[in-house]
Amino acid sequence: MFPDRRQRSFLDPGVLSRLAGFPLFARRPMLGTVSGRHPSPHRGSSVEFAEYRKYVPGDDLRQLDWRAYGRSDRFFVKEFEADTNLRCCLVLDTSGSMEFGSHRVSKIEYARRIAGAIAHIALQQGDAVGLSCVARGVVRNIPPRRNPAHLTSVYDILEQTQAKGETQLVPVLHELSETIRQRALCIILSDLFVEPELLRGCFQHLRFRRHDVAVFHLLDPRELSFDFRRPMRFLDMEGGPALFAEPNEIAERYHKALGGYLDELRQVVLESAVDYHRVSIDDDYEQVLMRFLVGRARSKGAR
Amino acid sequence: MSFLQPMLLAALPLVALPIIIHLINQRRYQTIRWAAMMFLLAANRMSRGYARLRQWLIMAFRMAVIAGLVFAISRPLAGGWLGLAAGNRADTTIVVLDRSPSMQQAGASGVGSKLETGRRQLVRTLETLGSAHWVLIESSTNRPRELESPAALLTAPSAEPISASSDLPAMLLAARDYIRANKSGRTEIWICSDLRENDWNAESGRWQSLRDSFLEFSQGVRFHLLAYPQTAPDNLAVRVTDVRRQQAAEGAELLVSLRLSREGGSEARESIPVHFEIDGARSELTIEMTGPTFELKDHRIPLERSHVRGWGKVSIPADANPADNDDWFVFDEPAPRRAIVVAEDPLAARPLQLAAAIAPDSLVKCSAEVVATEALAAVEWEQVALLLWQAPLPDADTAKRIAGFIERGGQVIFFPPRNPGPAGFQGIQWTAWTDRSEDVPVESWRGDQDLLAQTQSGGPLPVGQLQVRKYCGLSGELTALATLRGGATLLGRVTTSAGGAYFCATTPAVGDSSLATNGVVLYVLVQRALAQGAKVLGNTRELTAGDPAGEDPAGWKRLTGAEEALSTDYPLHRGIYRSADRLLAVSRAPAEDLAPVLADGRVAGLFRGLDLTRIDDRAGNLSALIQEIWRLFMLAMMVAMVVEAGLCLPRRRQPGGTS
Repeated sequence: MFPDRRQRSFLDPGVLSRLAGFPLFARRPMLGTVSGRHPSPHRGSSVEFAEYRKYVPGDDLRQLDWRAYGRSDRFFVKEFEADTNLRCCLVLDTSGSMEFGSHRVSKIEYARRIAGAIAHIALQQGDAVGLSCVARGVVRNIPPRRNPAHLTSVYDILEQTQAKGETQLVPVLHELSETIRQRALCIILSDLFVEPELLRGCFQHLRFRRHDVAVFHLLDPRELSFDFRRPMRFLDMEGGPALFAEPNEIAERYHKALGGYLDELRQVVLESAVDYHRVSIDDDYEQVLMRFLVGRARSKGAR
Repeated sequence: MSFLQPMLLAALPLVALPIIIHLINQRRYQTIRWAAMMFLLAANRMSRGYARLRQWLIMAFRMAVIAGLVFAISRPLAGGWLGLAAGNRADTTIVVLDRSPSMQQAGASGVGSKLETGRRQLVRTLETLGSAHWVLIESSTNRPRELESPAALLTAPSAEPISASSDLPAMLLAARDYIRANKSGRTEIWICSDLRENDWNAESGRWQSLRDSFLEFSQGVRFHLLAYPQTAPDNLAVRVTDVRRQQAAEGAELLVSLRLSREGGSEARESIPVHFEIDGARSELTIEMTGPTFELKDHRIPLERSHVRGWGKVSIPADANPADNDDWFVFDEPAPRRAIVVAEDPLAARPLQLAAAIAPDSLVKCSAEVVATEALAAVEWEQVALLLWQAPLPDADTAKRIAGFIERGGQVIFFPPRNPGPAGFQGIQWTAWTDRSEDVPVESWRGDQDLLAQTQSGGPLPVGQLQVRKYCGLSGELTALATLRGGATLLGRVTTSAGGAYFCATTPAVGDSSLATNGVVLYVLVQRALAQGAKVLGNTRELTAGDPAGEDPAGWKRLTGAEEALSTDYPLHRGIYRSADRLLAVSRAPAEDLAPVLADGRVAGLFRGLDLTRIDDRAGNLSALIQEIWRLFMLAMMVAMVVEAGLCLPRRRQPGGTS
């Protein structure tokens, strides 16, 4: 089915085959171009009955319910739900901080694996997949397409992208909210090192544009534990000033700041109805994706 | 705080080790590229209050651990009064021990006297401190004596209590001489005393020279005063003031006068049974005492007619100080008072002879004989009580004879000759006569003691009524007993070990003074000297403990008194002794009764400029003055380690927080 036969470092065929049985669902009606497995805001020709509507001149006579006419002597049109495909926009944070990784993989590598797998699943079920690499601005952008050959382009960009530069996630998300056509599935892969209050505006903007927003919040286990023993000189990966700190002295306040940030972020995503997944990058990404897909299947959106 | 191993305190800079390690650790930082800078920056902006405090506390406790260890191995001593330098082992430790009767006062609990407690404390303290040499200077001999160890203080007879007063300046002079003679190194002088004024003689001029000479020592002399200044307000002291035997209608009787003194000066009424013991026969008299002192005059105790000579004891019930609860006396028929008058001026000789020959009491036989200077060799000096000398001062053999007479206890009063020569006696010389056209009154005199003391009723002698027209100057060192207006000495006394040598600057001659016409002063003066001189002549004699007054204690035998005394120490212990066929009563020094305690400021003033540490202890105190407290520091070290470990423990994370 897929023309790309190259070996990609971030793709594991075993994982992809195991995830093949889990479809990717949207939580809200999507606006696709062709028929698919996702609910659409429009009436269509699926087998699922939607409603009766009074006949107005110009309606297709083939859709008239003659039995209803026989019982009530009035004309009703029988309407059915439409099924459509979705446009999955993967937003990958490629700022310098995504290069960090204290274990086997960096955050950007972990994000590549998740993005690659989701792109594969989406395309396999006929959805369109696009990719936006963002840092200071939109670095690389490839619009959603459902052509299987398009996957190669997505993988190429994933492979080539490098984490560098500072984060300007907030303006970039606002920009993407406007540029991505309405009713798309936006999956953001980032460490979200931005004030949660600023992110609230971005998420609400995306929601206003009827997008279904999912966030993979990638954090390194060391960022969570901050288990340093010796005095450290911390160099900012995004070019900011360096900081010298005695871990024993600062650890407690670091955890306090981190805890406050995470609590605030949790509140923001709850209020913005974002499908939020905090991921420690030492977790198995297959499990993470499994939880993501299953969770979405449970909350499969109403029309 | 003081230490037995102060050299180990040199390791105290190790306390800075945690700081140094901290600084080194700071320099050995690692560099890491870090993504989550926003949290670090936020943490940096937060208040560092507790975290910073915790870091400081951890550092402080680590330093405390090292300090505790260093202090523990330096063997600290409890008792900060010793001073820091006490830890250095002394080369010589001199113990100056006050053994006076007041040191036998027991504490409030009644367990252990001041002396006993002081000795025990000294032994415990000195054994802990250590020294190369131990020397004891005790108050009976004032001579330094080497000790093998401080423990000897507990067993040595020379540290037991005696009835004699102490002379602290003399003891310290002995200590100074010892240090000077032995060229000892760093010396510690431990003074154990109850700070009684009569023992310390704070007015004595010797203190100044003592201070100067101790300051001259380059090796450093430290004084430690182990003081027991507490008094016992309810302590009673009894003293026999006078004993006379007289014939009565049915035999004889003994008239005993005594004085009871209460130390606290309390006015409370109290019944005190006084026990009398005459040659073993006991009787009792109950006294109602209300004031601070009580005088009992001429208490009559019947005697057999044949009972002419004997001894007695007066005692009161036991109280805080057992040493002043009894007093001893002897009695006998009064010895004849024989005076010799040597006078070149007959006008002066006659009043003197009259004053000496007229007895004050019908029981006393007085006689006075005028003797020429040349006939002095034939005088039986053993029977003479007083020599009145109005002639050029004796020379050669005569002077030697008179000095021997004084040494035996005799009394001499010198009056000036008409032509004062260059001759001197015991350092005193007559200078020149001063003839004033008008009478010169006596300006001041010593009414508290000696020949011009007040009468028994407390009234002063009419010395102020004396008029002196001519008087002869005196040169030499003597104690003035009466001074004329203008500062000239009228009556002075030469310091002697026994007996008395007085110099009167005028004669009783009519043209010289009103001594003869006034009469009273001359009579009292001569009779008192005569009585004093007669005391050594009779078959009985009353002595003050510590002062044998010319008696040879070698032949003494104890009749009653202190059982524990060594025979060589008999003169130091109160009691009754027999010497040949004479009876001797040894009593504690009169100054021991009601002797006030020196004020703290006075004591500090005596040691001004010297290195003195003072500790006030109390009699019966069972806790040691100093004790090793390294365990305390070890415990503190362990506590500091535990606290440090507790502070170092990471804080428990909030469940469900950042993980």
